[in-house]
Amino acid sequence: MIDTNAIRKNLKIKIDGDPYVVVDFQFVKPGKGQAFTRTKMKNMITGNMIDKTYRSGEKLEEATVDEREMIFLYSQGSSFTFMDNTSYDQIELSTEQIGNAKNFLVDNMEVKVSFFNERPIEIVLPNFVELEIVSTEPAVKGDTVTGATKPAELSTGHTVNVPLFLESGEWIVVDTRTGEYVERVKK
Amino acid sequence: MKCPSSTAACFPENFSQTLRYRHRIIIQIRNFFDTRGYVAVDTPVRVKSPGVDPYIDAVNAGAGYYLAPSPELHMKRLLCLDIDRLYQITHAFRENEQGQHHNCEFMMLEWYRKGTDYAGIMEETEELILYITKEESLPISSFRFPFEKVAVDELYVKCADWRPSADWNEDRYFHDWVEKIDPYLKTKEGLFICDFPEPLAALSKPKEDNGKLCQRFELFIKGIEIANAYTELTDYEEHGRRFKNAREKRRQMGKDPYHIDEEFMRMISGGLPECGGIALGIDRLIMAMLAIDHIDHVQTFPFSRL
Repeated sequence: MIDTNAIRKNLKIKIDGDPYVVVDFQFVKPGKGQAFTRTKMKNMITGNMIDKTYRSGEKLEEATVDEREMIFLYSQGSSFTFMDNTSYDQIELSTEQIGNAKNFLVDNMEVKVSFFNERPIEIVLPNFVELEIVSTEPAVKGDTVTGATKPAELSTGHTVNVPLFLESGEWIVVDTRTGEYVERVKK
Repeated sequence: MKCPSSTAACFPENFSQTLRYRHRIIIQIRNFFDTRGYVAVDTPVRVKSPGVDPYIDAVNAGAGYYLAPSPELHMKRLLCLDIDRLYQITHAFRENEQGQHHNCEFMMLEWYRKGTDYAGIMEETEELILYITKEESLPISSFRFPFEKVAVDELYVKCADWRPSADWNEDRYFHDWVEKIDPYLKTKEGLFICDFPEPLAALSKPKEDNGKLCQRFELFIKGIEIANAYTELTDYEEHGRRFKNAREKRRQMGKDPYHIDEEFMRMISGGLPECGGIALGIDRLIMAMLAIDHIDHVQTFPFSRL
């Protein structure tokens, strides 16, 4: 068991048998009163967000979530298959469990898969990934207006906004946490 | 001269400017009290008794001493001298308090004035803030004066549909504060919340017309608790009872009770002179004035940068 003092972003705790991850928290202490920690947490299985307020000193149960390095092999219908780098075990995750990560997932990408009670529950992508632009409007030469962007479709089917000088067939770096374009890759 | 970027990177953006504004605000505070005939005093940071609030965990300083969570009791000892107005800017320490509005070590402004009550202190607090905002070199968002006033009971009737002084329930009170009152306060600019229920009197006087309420107010600006003030309790016997109750409360919470400040009790054995007093968090005032939303961005070396 851990104390409310241990509450941090990304702390994983167990509530009614389910693993939750702390997304945000705030220390609140009314004058002459007891302290509280207000939290916003995500159920790691269903993805549901909840708000929960703890009194200072309340005990929480930490959720043991293992992370394993795995390689994304392929997707078929609504199922995504990953393989353990060392044991070669394969596991499957559903579209719901993959969530927004599918926007940036390409074959052979190395990811971290979280397990709770031996069950795969979610994947964590590298912060930066390289992806190919498959379709975008032709480049506008000489247009250097700062910040001007256009939509570009990536090989994953996802669309991001990119600067006007980029062309189809070029590779870019995307930040998977924000979903935003970072830079052009020279290949 | 610019510092190397590797040094500056540890600090928030535009931190040199924040420090200049911080300096200017503190100078304004000192000028305000100086022109009003206040005597600046200096009380110890390492103390024997950490005070009366059971919910404050004092920082242990070893050998039976603590780092003062507030200069209150020492400043009140000075009220027994022939000084009518005194103020202090000091560091205060509270264990286990860390967050957007909290840092274990923070800067406190505390002042006492004889012959006045919490209403007089309220007026003076508003005058102080008005005085600081008049400093032209500060980019302070203009506050609307006078600040609003609301009684605790009124606030609870409005936001939580019950009246704490009539039907006291401490757990419910603080739970509703966090869930219902706190979000409401964020929508308000300057707001004095007054007349707290008697169980939260700390060292304030009961109201003369209603013993279930006490002469205490807190100032909030945009949801940040800035200050806490009293018509100070003067009665010697009642001080003894309040200390005893606080000790009992800490025992119930499974914490070590703080020992009673015997020196303080001796000094006020003839009663404390009639006065009003207030503690104001300077870091938080700076946050509110400069519209900065985290205490780490106004303190020079908060816990996260130690």
